[in-house]
Amino acid sequence: MASYEELSRLDMTYHDDVPRIPTREGVELYYESRGEGTAVTLLNTFFLPVPAWRVYTEELDQHYRVVSFDLCNHGHSSKVEEEPTWEEHAADLIALLDALEIESTYLIGLSTSTVFARDVALRYPDRVKGLVLTGPAFGPRGMRRQRQIQRAWLRTLESHGLEGLYEHLYPEVFSAEMNEAIGAPGFLGFRESFSALATVEEMTNGLKRAMQDKSSPEMLAGIQAPTLVVVGDDDFLLSPTGAKELAALFPDGACEIIPKAGHIPFIDDPEGFQAIVRKFVEEVESRA
Amino acid sequence: MPDEVSAVRQSIRELLREQHGGDRFVSTVSDSESLRQAGMSSNALVALLVAMEDAFGFEWDDDVHPEALRSIESLADHVVALRG
Repeated sequence: MASYEELSRLDMTYHDDVPRIPTREGVELYYESRGEGTAVTLLNTFFLPVPAWRVYTEELDQHYRVVSFDLCNHGHSSKVEEEPTWEEHAADLIALLDALEIESTYLIGLSTSTVFARDVALRYPDRVKGLVLTGPAFGPRGMRRQRQIQRAWLRTLESHGLEGLYEHLYPEVFSAEMNEAIGAPGFLGFRESFSALATVEEMTNGLKRAMQDKSSPEMLAGIQAPTLVVVGDDDFLLSPTGAKELAALFPDGACEIIPKAGHIPFIDDPEGFQAIVRKFVEEVESRA
Repeated sequence: MPDEVSAVRQSIRELLREQHGGDRFVSTVSDSESLRQAGMSSNALVALLVAMEDAFGFEWDDDVHPEALRSIESLADHVVALRG
């Protein structure tokens, strides 16, 4: 049974001594870089800012250069008037990689940011060595289901605020295993941190932007980078069967299923998730 | 203030002392102050809630309103209310 020990070590504080990286006019990104070697870049969703990743990449930090950053308009990065498009986020990412002198990187996308990872791979293929799509926001036939869920979350957010949204998404996003393991104290305690993760405005803008996303098998066929789809078998959005079908749509795709894990599988099995990423990176690197 | 409420608040302070930085945090936070604004993380809150279940012999319910978790005062009021 998963211990969820990492949850108890989550530290959501930001480092004050990290210089922001200017990416385009009016935009500076908060970033963190740990470890050395092959670059692995983590792509945030609108719900998980940089600090949330730290305890889940400790093993990867030992072997690679792990880079994480807050998207423009989220976390500790610059705020601009209009929510950026994925295209603008991609331009920010490339500028960040340039500033950090990273020629190419593996990308780890999670949920909504798997769309971001896909689009970066399509637009900047030379900068992407491989994709890890964790709990993808799109299925083998499209993403109608994801949009419907996001619309329902948005309505809950608008009518019941962050607390209501938390209650709505908690049983969907997190596995049954985790729900039982951490019980009511966990549910109540993490409700406190959820309301501190982002403002209503940030989440509203993020959800509205994500609802415009599209996916098709043709788009995926254009991705040359080796791609690994990782899902928990208790993912509410994409079943293991769907994940395997999705992986088969990529020219160089593979799939890994994590037992008893939910939509964010590294919360349930940090060790297993990082081992899967390492195996993927080492396999792709060995081809060179 | 009734003795029961006072005693529960004191017990919660003891639990905080054991779990959250010894005297340093407890000596500076007032009964009515927001624990989160005083610097308590959600992980520390989870640990406190678990410890309260053991100390006071009850189980938290998902329906508990966020305001009940706000401060030492509100936590103690919740415990006393449960006792009827």
